[in-house]
Amino acid sequence: MIQKSLICLFFLLYAFSPASAQQKFTISGTIRDAATGETLIGATVKIQGTTQSFGTSSNAYGFYSLTGNSGEYNLIVSYTGYEATTKRITLSSSAKFNFELKPDKGALDEVVITAGSRKNDNVRSPQMGLDKLNMKDLDNVPVLFGEKDVLKTIQMLPGVKSGGEGNTGFFVRGGAADQNLILLDEATVYNSSHLLGFFSTFNADAIKDVSLYKGGMPAQYGGRLSSVLDVKMQDGNNKEFGVEGGIGLIASRIKVEGPIVKDKGSFMVSARRTYIDLLLKASPDSSLNSNTLNFYDINAKLNYQFDDKNTIFVSGYFGQDNIGIKDLFANDWGNTTATVRLNHVFNDKLFSNTSFIFNKYNYAIELLDADNNARVTSLIRDFNLKQDLQYYSNKHVIRFGAQATHHRIAPSDITTTGNSSFNPLSVENRYGLELAAYASDEWTITDKFNILYGLRVSSFSLLGPGTFSTYDNMGEIASSTTSGSGDFVKTYIYAEPRFSASYSLNEENSIKASYNRNTQNIHILTNANTGSPTDQYVMSSNNIKPELADQVAMGYFRNSKDNSFQFSGEVYYKWLQNQIDYKDGAQLTANANVESELLYGVGRAYGLELYAKKTKGKLTGWVSYTLSKTERKFDEINEGNYFNAKQDRTHDLAVVGIYNLNPRWTFSANYIYSTGNAVTFPAGKYNTGGLTTYFYTARNADRMPYTSRLDISATLKAKQTAKYQSSWSFGVYNALNRKNPYSIQFRDKKSDPTQTEAVQTSLFGIIPSITYNFKF
Amino acid sequence: MLKYIIYSCFFIIVSLSMASCEKVIDVKLNTSPNQVVIEGNINDQPGVQTITMSESVPYTTSNQYPPITGAQVLVTDESSRSWVFTETKPGTYTSSALQGQIGQQYTMKVISKDITYTAVSTIPTLVNLDSLSIKVITFGSEDFKAVEVHFKDPADRVNQYRWVMKINGVQIRVVYADNDRLSNGNDVVNVLFYSDDENEKLKAGDEVEVEMQCIDKPVFNYWFTLSQQSQNGPGGGVTPGNPPSNIDNKALGYFSAHTSQKMKVTVK
Repeated sequence: MIQKSLICLFFLLYAFSPASAQQKFTISGTIRDAATGETLIGATVKIQGTTQSFGTSSNAYGFYSLTGNSGEYNLIVSYTGYEATTKRITLSSSAKFNFELKPDKGALDEVVITAGSRKNDNVRSPQMGLDKLNMKDLDNVPVLFGEKDVLKTIQMLPGVKSGGEGNTGFFVRGGAADQNLILLDEATVYNSSHLLGFFSTFNADAIKDVSLYKGGMPAQYGGRLSSVLDVKMQDGNNKEFGVEGGIGLIASRIKVEGPIVKDKGSFMVSARRTYIDLLLKASPDSSLNSNTLNFYDINAKLNYQFDDKNTIFVSGYFGQDNIGIKDLFANDWGNTTATVRLNHVFNDKLFSNTSFIFNKYNYAIELLDADNNARVTSLIRDFNLKQDLQYYSNKHVIRFGAQATHHRIAPSDITTTGNSSFNPLSVENRYGLELAAYASDEWTITDKFNILYGLRVSSFSLLGPGTFSTYDNMGEIASSTTSGSGDFVKTYIYAEPRFSASYSLNEENSIKASYNRNTQNIHILTNANTGSPTDQYVMSSNNIKPELADQVAMGYFRNSKDNSFQFSGEVYYKWLQNQIDYKDGAQLTANANVESELLYGVGRAYGLELYAKKTKGKLTGWVSYTLSKTERKFDEINEGNYFNAKQDRTHDLAVVGIYNLNPRWTFSANYIYSTGNAVTFPAGKYNTGGLTTYFYTARNADRMPYTSRLDISATLKAKQTAKYQSSWSFGVYNALNRKNPYSIQFRDKKSDPTQTEAVQTSLFGIIPSITYNFKF
Repeated sequence: MLKYIIYSCFFIIVSLSMASCEKVIDVKLNTSPNQVVIEGNINDQPGVQTITMSESVPYTTSNQYPPITGAQVLVTDESSRSWVFTETKPGTYTSSALQGQIGQQYTMKVISKDITYTAVSTIPTLVNLDSLSIKVITFGSEDFKAVEVHFKDPADRVNQYRWVMKINGVQIRVVYADNDRLSNGNDVVNVLFYSDDENEKLKAGDEVEVEMQCIDKPVFNYWFTLSQQSQNGPGGGVTPGNPPSNIDNKALGYFSAHTSQKMKVTVK
């Protein structure tokens, strides 16, 4: 049925294509960086003629294709931070033109965040709710411990809220932390944080491109409700060998890249490690020096271009965190991803990519106390096969494809040794199969009116073997059935329409609107505010229905002064269904009947996002402001009334300024302000069991105090020679040393137990940092 | 088990966030009308059984809870035997005639200001508290001492426990509740951790008294829900709420029929 509807859709798209009166030819090719051979994603290719002018941008592999009437044209290729190239062409037959763009050395007008590098593309493109991060300037945004971080920087964009002080967890447009699809070279990264959330799994050195979709998700993405964070690794320099790295207070990193075969293939390996525990090891105190606290990760990628039509990419990520306290506790966790991709250019209009993807996330907790020893392990693992095709016709870019993902979740396995208080336990594995097919069309209807519409049909099947239970109101097993291997226990099918449109009022002003539906079948169960290493993953099942989100958004986009100022304002409204919360006293860890502990409800989120950006000149940066509300509703909670979601914050403001004083010195500062999280404070107190107990009325009706923080940094470029370049980064996190709230606890006063007090914990005061970066 | 993980994380956070700090703040709180609070305890020991009634107070006042006087309090068992509890102190209703029987279900009926509150609870089979011991955890240059309870969990049924710990006669401000979900049938050693934020650190010479109660499932659910909340403040963990009471008509509190065993140990 899915196949049929796709074929229908495909033909439908063609019905719209007007018959051509004049002969048309196609030019296509790949756009690369002249210095490194890295393909450039989203570079602008424009054809300018006397009668006709049109353009496109390169895809995720640097490929472009343009079709036009025969004639004489100027072909202009440009990309932010690179010198534009113009070529005079006569279009009398289809042809291939590859381009290599030179980095623009003198450019001071580099942009940290670009909403598309094509001139006015942010205005013209029907895509909404998209933010792209330019990796080059990530160095300039001050961050905690001086460790530049993709996830912390995107938290300063409108509509994206931080998971907490110094935390890489994030919430997009009222969604929960587990509703973000985080992809690294197409592989799902289930846990994107290191070291309890203070660092992200993305080593900025190895990253080429970061795109965040907050709404209007294109049909090729699916599986999460709130956002898609698409992170792409660098391919590696295919012209010459290079080494770069950095030495920081907490961690050091190094990257090596170079050609395998010049201009044909390259490799890139990047690694980093923290060394707090190496300092601990230096301590003479034996109970300190045998503790561990570290993480490391490795990104590696290879690519080889067999010929003009075929390229292979192999990439992988491995990361691991280790925390341990001698004789007490050890916890390690990490992600592994591997992606093999084959690009094939069928012809100058049809581009294909086939991906084989593996990813897993696992953790182990060890309790080392002899009487209470246990080792708890948990795993989620996916195999994913994906076929994407792009067809470029005159006014259409048609994307279609299919995807199959097999999931395995091993929720908890407990092993013990000797006389432990705990029993060995193995919670049954769960298997799932997600299938999806999609088609979309980006249609330039007129110069002013563009639409992007598509449909994603997705199915999720819970597979056997296993015992599957239903539960009564008390949470007791009502019935159980046992299914064999490969049995389809429960299947859900959803059609997810995606639509967005833009109408240009003129070259520099446009309005846009979008609607999209998303479904989600992998859910995180957690009592923590954001992700924690020991989160439980569950799939949709006979008890848990797929989460659903419908989002509508409208926006106004404006550029002025030759793109040097960009402004956007977007409003959105999102309806959420089948949201998950927990019963009182829910036991989520190592619980075979964890589905009996869940509650199901709905949610809604709406907001206004304003974003103003200066992209050129000595001073660049942006201001983002979000006014929003996000609520949930469960029959069993808050008397069935809507209540604020934990991440509900009314106001969120971020100001980022980067000042290029001269070629050596760059200064930057950012300031954030946000309303406190929605929390539940006591409305009274009483005594039970000899202890002060608090009485609560409405859920999440109170507010933590607001958060406000100023961070500053300075980057000094040291001597630059052709062979060796280096720079120093100095940073001060929380320069005003404000005590921002992390948590508030209500407790009896130790000095006077007849009184209670509210105690606020703050994590980070003023923290200076210094990092040395080098490249040779 | 989760408790062990949380306490281990506590040590990590201590070591991690040397930069972190605590301060007492003023928070603006809503104040609700005072609520009816009932605490009913029936145990298997001879002596006085007590049911108390009081009112909740606003957060900002001191921890003095106005007693609710003049209530009619009655407890019946499955064989329709009943015991009238008499008010011996304002808000405190007692009976010395009742000694709880293992396996017996008790019904509490409280009538106050024309509202009848009822609850049922069953005394589960006794699990013997075998011994107490002191555990020493060395972290950094400091020794942390903690009390351990030892008991043998019966394999043939589900058991729920609650412990109340007093050090030098002062009750430790932690709710201890656990079940045998992950330790059924084992010789269990349970460590009664607590933080020194609200309590004095355990030191040599301290006299520790631990009461172990075997409790039924609804009562466990009450204490366990409370125990999950007390470890984290807002913004940190489980969203706090009122623990599920087994008493009807929106009374706060609980009615617990349980076994009770006490043991003492002196810290060396």
